[in-house]
Amino acid sequence: MPSPIIFSIENMEVTAMKSKLKVFRAMHNLTQEQLADKIGVSRQTVIAIESDKYLPSLGLAFKMARLFKVKVEDIFTHNGKENEE
Amino acid sequence: MDRKKYKQLRAIVTLFIGVIVALAVVRNSYLLAMTGISTGMIFMVLMRSKAKIRTDERESTIQEKAARMTYAIFAPTIGIAAFLLLLPAKGGIDVFSKGEWLFTESLGMVFAYLTLFLIAIYAISYHFFNRKYGGDGNEE
Repeated sequence: MPSPIIFSIENMEVTAMKSKLKVFRAMHNLTQEQLADKIGVSRQTVIAIESDKYLPSLGLAFKMARLFKVKVEDIFTHNGKENEE
Repeated sequence: MDRKKYKQLRAIVTLFIGVIVALAVVRNSYLLAMTGISTGMIFMVLMRSKAKIRTDERESTIQEKAARMTYAIFAPTIGIAAFLLLLPAKGGIDVFSKGEWLFTESLGMVFAYLTLFLIAIYAISYHFFNRKYGGDGNEE
């Protein structure tokens, strides 16, 4: 029987995705402000992505991947709950 | 000009507009209010173009959600208010159809048209964005 608690799809996606942005940022010796300037967003957005509160768009994810010279899936990992009904 | 400086200047301009409008209200001058608001708007546009402020995608998402929630709350509220205000007049309750209660019907009509206007704008913008983002379903 499905749970009576209703979650939005967006929120489920956010909890299902994990970001390693903080690790890559530290590896490249960048501050949140510097990274925000490089990818053209605000510092608040970088903080939100790092704390898995906000899921970036595909364009922004590719921008970050290009900046760190890695694949998108290296920065963002999915918990693999998409097959669950 | 960085984002922080832009925000500080924006606060100053907002304060300036507020003072001008307050002065206009005190002096009962429409011209002063219009001049103050239009000057402020022009200044804001110039500042924004000079600062090259990018629209942050997180901010856009927040704005979308806030707009959706505003619509979801405001549309039913104003619709129900219109219904309740019109109900006594249309229901044949004479008390609300004359004297000091006469305004309720007019207010109800205004609210009802506002509700229709709101729904119409939503429907038109939904149709427009649906087409823009490929929702017309004509392509294979």
